[in-house]
Amino acid sequence: MTLEKFFNPKSVAVIGATEDPKNITSTIITNLIEMGFAGKLVPVNPHHDEVFGLKCYPSLPDIKEQIDLAVISIHSDYVPEVLEQQAGCGIKNAIIISGGFAELGGKGVELEERIKNICRDKDIRLIGPNCIGVLDNYSNFSTSFLPWTKVKRPEKGNLGILSQSGSYVVSMMDMLSLEGIGVSKVVSYGNRADVGESELIEYLTDDELTHVIGIYMESVDDGRRFINASSNCSRSKHIVALKAGRHDSGIEAAKSHTGAIAGRYEIYKAAFRKSGIVEVNGLEEFMDACKVLLMQKPAKGNKVLVLTNGGGFGVSVSDMCSDTGLDVAHTPASIREALSEKFPEYFILKNPIDMTGSSGDEDYGIAMKSALVDNDFFDAAIIIPLMPPPTMTEGVAGIISQMAKESGKPVVICMVSGIYTEKIKAKFEEKGLPVFPSPERCVKAMSVLVERGRMNGC
Amino acid sequence: MVAKDTKFKDALKVIENVQASGRKILFPDEAMDVIKSSGISTPAYTLVKTVHEASVETKSMGFPVVLKIVSPDVLHKSDVGGVVIGVENEKEVERNYAEIMNNLFKKVPDADIMGILVEKQMPKTTEVIVGGIRDEQFGPTVMFGLGGIFVELFKDVVFRIAPVTETEALEMIKEIKGYSVLNGYRGAERLDIQQLARTVVTISELISDIGEIKEVELNPLLVYTEGVTAIDARIIIK
Repeated sequence: MTLEKFFNPKSVAVIGATEDPKNITSTIITNLIEMGFAGKLVPVNPHHDEVFGLKCYPSLPDIKEQIDLAVISIHSDYVPEVLEQQAGCGIKNAIIISGGFAELGGKGVELEERIKNICRDKDIRLIGPNCIGVLDNYSNFSTSFLPWTKVKRPEKGNLGILSQSGSYVVSMMDMLSLEGIGVSKVVSYGNRADVGESELIEYLTDDELTHVIGIYMESVDDGRRFINASSNCSRSKHIVALKAGRHDSGIEAAKSHTGAIAGRYEIYKAAFRKSGIVEVNGLEEFMDACKVLLMQKPAKGNKVLVLTNGGGFGVSVSDMCSDTGLDVAHTPASIREALSEKFPEYFILKNPIDMTGSSGDEDYGIAMKSALVDNDFFDAAIIIPLMPPPTMTEGVAGIISQMAKESGKPVVICMVSGIYTEKIKAKFEEKGLPVFPSPERCVKAMSVLVERGRMNGC
Repeated sequence: MVAKDTKFKDALKVIENVQASGRKILFPDEAMDVIKSSGISTPAYTLVKTVHEASVETKSMGFPVVLKIVSPDVLHKSDVGGVVIGVENEKEVERNYAEIMNNLFKKVPDADIMGILVEKQMPKTTEVIVGGIRDEQFGPTVMFGLGGIFVELFKDVVFRIAPVTETEALEMIKEIKGYSVLNGYRGAERLDIQQLARTVVTISELISDIGEIKEVELNPLLVYTEGVTAIDARIIIK
């Protein structure tokens, strides 16, 4: 059963539609109008005849045409009634934005059971409740109730985001926009009463516009299905997971050491490992891992060339490489010989290759040609161009990216952000080379490519 | 629920018998039966019910031996003085047998006592833990770690979703921080990592194949330069 109608509905009923700016439903509608959603938008509210210039219907049965999806953001108490109504109208999909369900405990749990039962009995597929819902960047459809003026809509791209948390997806969208990372689909599924991450991974596996999937998860919907879906997906795409809630207590009532040590998190780690998922720590690593996997391919091994015109950065990147299990292996004699013919003798040729502050754009080309293009000793490269010397110009971005392309090996750029270097960063990223603003983040991003290369699949 | 084509038929039989008796935790001798029949090496062991039996059995297996209490009311045997190691002769067998019974009488007066497990004592070496738990979300998992304080203090253990291949098991072993302890630290001989990996595979297959097992643990498993031996096992069933 496909989830297509959640992302590309031809007609959408918005329940509780209003122009009242304090009501989130008004933002859902204005967002959709602003995005240029091409499907039919049908407001439903007995108190209005018209909402934002669209004809408003008193209730679902009053709508004559076929509706693909109902978007529900009314008080939780009235949700079961709406679901019953939509079942009567043959509307097969619902996104419930409203909170007030299982997350409250007690009566909320009962209410959620009720909506689950209605959906099961009446054959309705459901995203939510207690969520942001979806963004499909290509069909221009979204159920976000946060105005795009405050949360910038990311560009079209190839990253899919799945999240149990609404606040996380909102922050991610904002950060991704700033970072220029394009997005295909975003789903915040909240309480996950029906559709969860396993089914969404299955769905995104076949979505050609999604190349990398980033997941924020606190718990899993169905462990074994998750492993199967992810293992299958990670054969052709990359999955990055941020697991929150790691310090849950151990397996309850475990009687062996194994059981007592097995915090839930250890088992999650094992599951990620089995599924070919790259696990990251924190929001920043999450963004960086998604970015590097979108822009570069996995490394075939862990031998990393570090190339710079700034000695200190070369040393600290090397340190961090060693800490992360990346091998900053000595430059082999053949490469050193080739380079010593072209370079002055004060360039340091063992790895890191430090071309000192007197080098310029062309030297990067010469070094990469010998060390990366003409020789297969290194599997990947971290390039650290320091831009201040007058010999360095923005032309270096073209030279480095050309050599990276010719080598066929993954290359990442480390460049500390400044007002001038932000412009150079844009030049690099236009050409497909990811730039990270610190040695730590750059090395971590490279280690993601190496880890991914070590896994089976890709 | 039972996989019909399991290669652990004898192990399954032991577990089914325990299930029939309504217990959730296997007695040490039953757990050892499961482990032994799964192809993992154990020292000679037998359950005795009298001092006389203890004398006869220990004489035939040879000294030194270990004596361990077997009781459904005792989970942590050493905490109640239910284990004696390094028992060197018949006289000591008699003395220690009486002492264990006496300890039990004092500390757990109402304990049901099934008998005493006598086990041939193995030479000292590096101890590790190999375990498996059935996770309610992800299903069977397997764990490996070094024994003693490494597991208790440092939690230097690694988990995988079961079953694992021998290659995966070797990765697990190499992943722990204390790996060099097994791999010839400071000129010591390299221990039998290959056989250890096979044991991790066996435990991972055992918990995958037999759905009744909730937790299984070899603790400790002794690792020698040639071969490994499980000297204590714990198995908990659904």
